[in-house]
This record gives sequence, structure tokens and C-alpha cells, in this order.
Amino acid sequence: MGRSAETTENAPPTEQTVGCYIYGVVPAEVDVDAETQGVGDPPAQVRPVRHGKIAALVSDIDVARPLGTPQDLLAHQQLLDAAAAEVPVLPIRFGAVLATPDAVVEEFLSPYHDDFLAALVELEGSAQYVIKGRYVEEVVLAEILEENPEAASLREEIRDMPEDAARNHRIRLGEIINESITAQREADTATLLENVEPVIVMSADRPPSHELDAVHLALLVEISRERDLEQAVEEFARHRTDRIKLRLLGPMAPYDFIVSQEQGAG
Amino acid sequence: MTVQPVGGGVSNRPSGTSLADVIDTILDKGIVIDAYASVSLIGIELLSVDARIVVASVDTYLRFAEATDRLDLAKSRKPGLPEVVETVTQTRGAETTAEAERLEAGGARGSLEAAGERLRGFAGDFGEREDERESERVEVREHVRPRKAGQEEG
Repeated sequence: MGRSAETTENAPPTEQTVGCYIYGVVPAEVDVDAETQGVGDPPAQVRPVRHGKIAALVSDIDVARPLGTPQDLLAHQQLLDAAAAEVPVLPIRFGAVLATPDAVVEEFLSPYHDDFLAALVELEGSAQYVIKGRYVEEVVLAEILEENPEAASLREEIRDMPEDAARNHRIRLGEIINESITAQREADTATLLENVEPVIVMSADRPPSHELDAVHLALLVEISRERDLEQAVEEFARHRTDRIKLRLLGPMAPYDFIVSQEQGAG
Repeated sequence: MTVQPVGGGVSNRPSGTSLADVIDTILDKGIVIDAYASVSLIGIELLSVDARIVVASVDTYLRFAEATDRLDLAKSRKPGLPEVVETVTQTRGAETTAEAERLEAGGARGSLEAAGERLRGFAGDFGEREDERESERVEVREHVRPRKAGQEEG
């Protein structure tokens, strides 16, 4: 695709073949390396479209090609995360395509220039980090069976029953386990938040993405305090190495802290 | 690029941004362009991917029950918990990972059953990591992006 920057101002929108994919908003002074690649196959070159003190990161996109392959998703996030490590960035939800770069300026950057600029100023120096923790299943299950007599006896009963007859027992056993894990998740999340509270700007709870999730938190943190954050997370993890596999992701764009104007309900 | 595993007590697993990480980050978060610029918004076919967990479903319960059955508590009950823990964590790595289904532009959808988990139509050639075995349930669907604001996609 490369530099097929033909705009189709005179053609009706339905015949348009090239659109303008938008990744996010950054301060106008941000430069983009010529080799920076974005969404598309082959990946298109990313460039800034500037207006006033802000700029949108965009690339040409073939509008006939369905969007959303794993490569597309990764390209979108990697571009934004790379930017977020250096400069404040307002991430745009995956899949936004406008007709032309002019439309980006006229409909997006110009009308909301001041709002976006204010948000960028507020984000200066900060980035998002995500903490994902997953319980080690066998360890947690063994604990639950150890501590919950009903669960333990259900397990024994199930072993001696024919497969079909044991269904209700299994459901009940699973329910007990699920309740117990939910309670542990709440407790562990609260503890972790206490640990990181002193080093973060704000936090956003994420719903569990898996039934064995121990914690799932998005944090806005000053990048200069990354080491402090790591230490706080490490402190939490140290006492739980056998039970929780913990990952700290970031710095990334502040996806969990950007609220669009009509997005409040979502 | 973006993943920085914390040293020491945190995790010695390989690090990396996986599709699962991306999905629950960029698909339903960030500025919604429709809310700002709608006139020139282009309707583009979107293979979007949802990761959701059905918490507290019967499937979940049955899976947990099965997992307890796999636990070899009987042998090591007497010695107590720590030893149990040790043996189970060692066998952990032996599970086979799901062959990730290649998602082509046309949209390979459908179910695949693997390692006791449902992974729905998903994902190809990008570093599936060790820890993504227990991946989120992922569902791919297609839709066309609405041209105007206010028409929320499914």
C-alpha cells in the first residue's frame, strides 16, 4: 500500500478504497520515524496529522480488507504503547477509520482540540500499567479441599459414583470452589491495591478475564516511578509465589483511563 | 516491547504481549471515534474479537470439579499440603497447548476444544505464550462498523 495517499474528495464515499486509520492523539511536536509501521497487510506507514498543538497518528488503510486480524490488533497496540513510553497519548479504540486526513483535522482534531490538549497535559509523564495475576490451579484447589470439609467429602463421593450420577455433586463442588476463588480474588485485589496505592496516580479495576484470575488491575503511574511500582508489586508477589503467577505489563497507553464524551455508560 | 516482568518473586515465565492481553485492552477501551467524528466515518468490516468469561456458569463448575479429580491428593494426603503443591506444580507444564486456529481475513470461526478450555475461533501466528494456555475465552465475530454515531455495534 505504502504511499497511496490518494484522497477521494470528489468520489462518493462508497467507492472509496483508501481510508485513514486513526490510532491515537499525541502532542503536535511528536515525530514519527519513517519506518514506523501500523495496521494493514502489508503494514502501512504511520504518520502524524497535525492541528494546532495536537496530532493524530494515522496510516492509510485499504477499506475493502476486513480489519481485525491478530496482526492488526497487535500493530495497533504496539504503536500506541511505544508512543506511551515516550509521550502522553490518548488511545483510540481499535478500528476507527475516517475518509481522509482532512476529515481527521476537521471533524476530530479541530472541534475537540482543547479537550484533547488538556487530557494530554494531564497525562504528561504518566502511563498505564496492568497487573494480571492467575492462581495456580492445583495449589488453590488443594487449599480449598483442605479447608472446606464439604468440598473434600463431595470430591470423595464423586470418585465412588458413576459418571452420570455424580453430575450434581460435581456442580456443587465446582460452585464451592468458584465461590472460594471469588472471595480470594477480592481479598488479593484489595491487598495489592493497598500495596501499590502510594506509587500510583489512579487505578481501574478490570473484570476477571478468567475464572482463575487472582488480580486484574489497570494502574496509571508516573513513568519515573516505575521502579517503585515494581517493588510494590514484588512485595505483594513475594508472599504468594506458589499460589499466584503475576505479570506486570507496561508502560502502555492509558486505555483504561480515557473516557469518551458519550461513553460514560459503557 | 511492552512487557516488563518484575523480577524476583513475581514470575519467571516468559514475557510478552499476547493476543489475550491485547484483546482485553484495545477492543473495548479508548476513545470511541463515533462519538466525535461521524460524518466521514468509514464503515469497514471488522473482525472483532471478544474475550469474555462466563463466571459462575455450570461449565466453570464442572471444570473445577474435574480439576479436583486430577489432583492427586490421595497419595500425599498424609504428608500434607506443601508436598502436594510441589508435585502438582511440577506436572503442570506437561499439558498440551491448543493449536491456535489461524484466523484469516475471511474469518475462520468456530470452536476448538482443547485442554479443557474453549477457545473460539482465534488466532494465529503471533507468539502464543506459555501462560496463554489457560487463555481467555475468545470469540471472533464480524461486523460492519456503523457509519454514524449512535448506532452502537453489537
